[in-house]
Amino acid sequence: MRVAVVGSGLAGFTAYQTLRRELAPGDIAVFGTDSDPAAAWRVRAAAIRQREMRSESDGHCLPTSFPGLAFSSVRRRRSARPLLDSVLDRYHPTVDEFLSHVERLRERSGWDESLVPRRIERVQAVDGGFDLDGERFPHVLLAPGHPGLNVPEELRGDSRVVHSYEPHDYAATVTVVGAGLAAATEWLNALAAGAEVVSVRRREPVRRPLNVPRHYFSRRGLDGYHRLAPRERVERLRTLIAPSYPPGARWDEPLERAAREGRFRVEQSLNGSAQVICATGFRRGFRHDPLLARLVAEHDLETVDGWLVLDPDSTVPALTDAGRTLAVAGAPAQWAFPAADTLAGARYAAHRFLGRTRSCRTR
Amino acid sequence: MSYTLRGRVETRLAALLPVLLGACVLAGVLHRWWPVELVALMAAVGIFLDVEVWHRLLPYQPAWTSVPLGAVELGVLMAIVYGFGLHAPLLPALALFGAGWLAAVIFAQAGLPLLRLGYAEDGGELGRAGGVAAVALVLAFGGSAATYVVRLPPVVHLSAGVHQGPLVIDRREVLQGDPGAVVRGGIVVAHDDVEIRNVTVVGGENGISVDGVRGTVIDGVTVQGAKLDGIHVRLAGVVIRDCTVDMLGNRLGQGIDISFNMDKGMSMVEGCTVVGGQQGITTHSSATDIMGNTVSRTTGQAIAVDEMSMGMASHNAIRNALGVGLYCGDRSMCMFDHNTVIGMRPDTTSGLRNRRGLAVLADFQSEADLWRNRLVANAVAMDTTTNAILRTSSRPSW
Repeated sequence: MRVAVVGSGLAGFTAYQTLRRELAPGDIAVFGTDSDPAAAWRVRAAAIRQREMRSESDGHCLPTSFPGLAFSSVRRRRSARPLLDSVLDRYHPTVDEFLSHVERLRERSGWDESLVPRRIERVQAVDGGFDLDGERFPHVLLAPGHPGLNVPEELRGDSRVVHSYEPHDYAATVTVVGAGLAAATEWLNALAAGAEVVSVRRREPVRRPLNVPRHYFSRRGLDGYHRLAPRERVERLRTLIAPSYPPGARWDEPLERAAREGRFRVEQSLNGSAQVICATGFRRGFRHDPLLARLVAEHDLETVDGWLVLDPDSTVPALTDAGRTLAVAGAPAQWAFPAADTLAGARYAAHRFLGRTRSCRTR
Repeated sequence: MSYTLRGRVETRLAALLPVLLGACVLAGVLHRWWPVELVALMAAVGIFLDVEVWHRLLPYQPAWTSVPLGAVELGVLMAIVYGFGLHAPLLPALALFGAGWLAAVIFAQAGLPLLRLGYAEDGGELGRAGGVAAVALVLAFGGSAATYVVRLPPVVHLSAGVHQGPLVIDRREVLQGDPGAVVRGGIVVAHDDVEIRNVTVVGGENGISVDGVRGTVIDGVTVQGAKLDGIHVRLAGVVIRDCTVDMLGNRLGQGIDISFNMDKGMSMVEGCTVVGGQQGITTHSSATDIMGNTVSRTTGQAIAVDEMSMGMASHNAIRNALGVGLYCGDRSMCMFDHNTVIGMRPDTTSGLRNRRGLAVLADFQSEADLWRNRLVANAVAMDTTTNAILRTSSRPSW
């Protein structure tokens, strides 16, 4: 085995698909506790009753951005509409289409052959590579996923509280905390269930099609971002990952209608709703992930404000050289790629990781 | 797609490579350079717009913008093609541009993202392949330019003084007359792609005869004393510019006669001065534009578009002639615009109705459209005979 992926979620799965372009399943070890790469995501999508992906045609797990999911939708739906929508940036695959895509890729890529069903507790740099709980690899990609759901401190222990990504139904009066896509989805879900909804948020949500402005998905925006000094980059990152959801009548019309009927309003603080849904995303920062926290502590890695400092190619600079690579994919890689927690972000890290393993003299 | 500037240019160059290859093949088949010139122009226009406009205007470029951006680039390209007189035929030129546009769309949306792992996130940059594409394009254009230069026809200088003719040109060449160079007895063009510049021709059966060849250019010549026609063109495509043809004393000759070349594409007579002869400038079964010429003292028709010709006579001046000024005859289709016809006199000796000093005459089932012509002091302004149609338009018919 030459290459290891730590984490068997969607980020690890997407990285695996890229690695498979040049490596056999036997050359890749994927460490994780669940053989279904979409297991965690599936539960969360079901919890918020998500039906469509926010991502567009290239929000998939394949190694190249083309052909995207719009092409497979054309075949499945027997209609050119998905392709036309994709040209207009209006195509969003359904959750079912996405999950089928993951399942197909899983079957044909040899994923199960590469999977080592074990949680890695410790990554230790050794001469010429890394020790993963006793196994050595010259190149390792960490894709540990989100380090848990984020519930505001003041709401912990409140019996009315449920996180949006946990299975739940809707009470007659619902307060939704948060202002991102999950919150917006919950507003509509609760209204559709007949509830009276209060939105509690600290700031007005940004309306944009994708998680971050589109040019931050390419070098066009990333070059400037990578040139920022650490403090400026932290500020930029905070701005970029602020809660947002797409613009459009699909979101606005039901809210306006409910507001006119007195069933939807915005407030600054909690009231007496029977149910409080925290659409507040995930805990943020390497400290919340035991594996990363230990890695940082043991190797004295550079961090800024909770973010692990990475090179633009998503590698850990202190632990990457001509003979070995330690890269990070998924949410903890935002220092290199602000939209790292998207499928495109996972692909970005995977492409660069593959590039490094390809050019490495020991391979 | 959010292109970096480099990515935008590299993607364009890569997409142009197959088009350039096709253009080179086309140029070889047609023995014409316009396909390569057009692709070079497409590259220049595209890169200019990339650098100066598109990159600044579009931080993110959705796929659908390929259509309006392509339309703008096509507009700029065609304006340059026609503004600078590159002789590219319209439909093939549009087809070549369309092929280039389609190749660019397919490359950018499918080919390059499929071939190159990080194409989208690299903003369209192609790494080493981008450099290779640029070098390949430069080599291809450079090679084409070198071939063009090497294959340029030799320039033959005709020294000042009288040279006894008839002079027969039977190879590709440019015959460049030095000031005072005169050929006595006429010139016969017997090969494709011959250019004759600044030569005076005296006498001969025809002053200059062009028969069955392509790509002849006659520029700045003076012809006088020809027995039949001043410039006589049969079954050949020609461009005649800035010539002077003196047919005074030759009652039956024609200053410039271009006939039976409908299948040779458009010919042109521009900026010439013709004096005397039965007909000044005449075409038969031909598609010829007659523009900006001055014709005077003819005895039959000053300018005649005849015998199933299709042509435009535009911005010509006709003065002091006998019979007819502008003539559209024998099932021809003519557009006469912005011409000035002054002082047409009737041919009283013939007694014919169609020689009554007409400024404009449409004859025998021909159709002539008139637009903004000045017809002054003529015996008769205009008339038709034998089921011909004459339309005075308030706007041009093209």
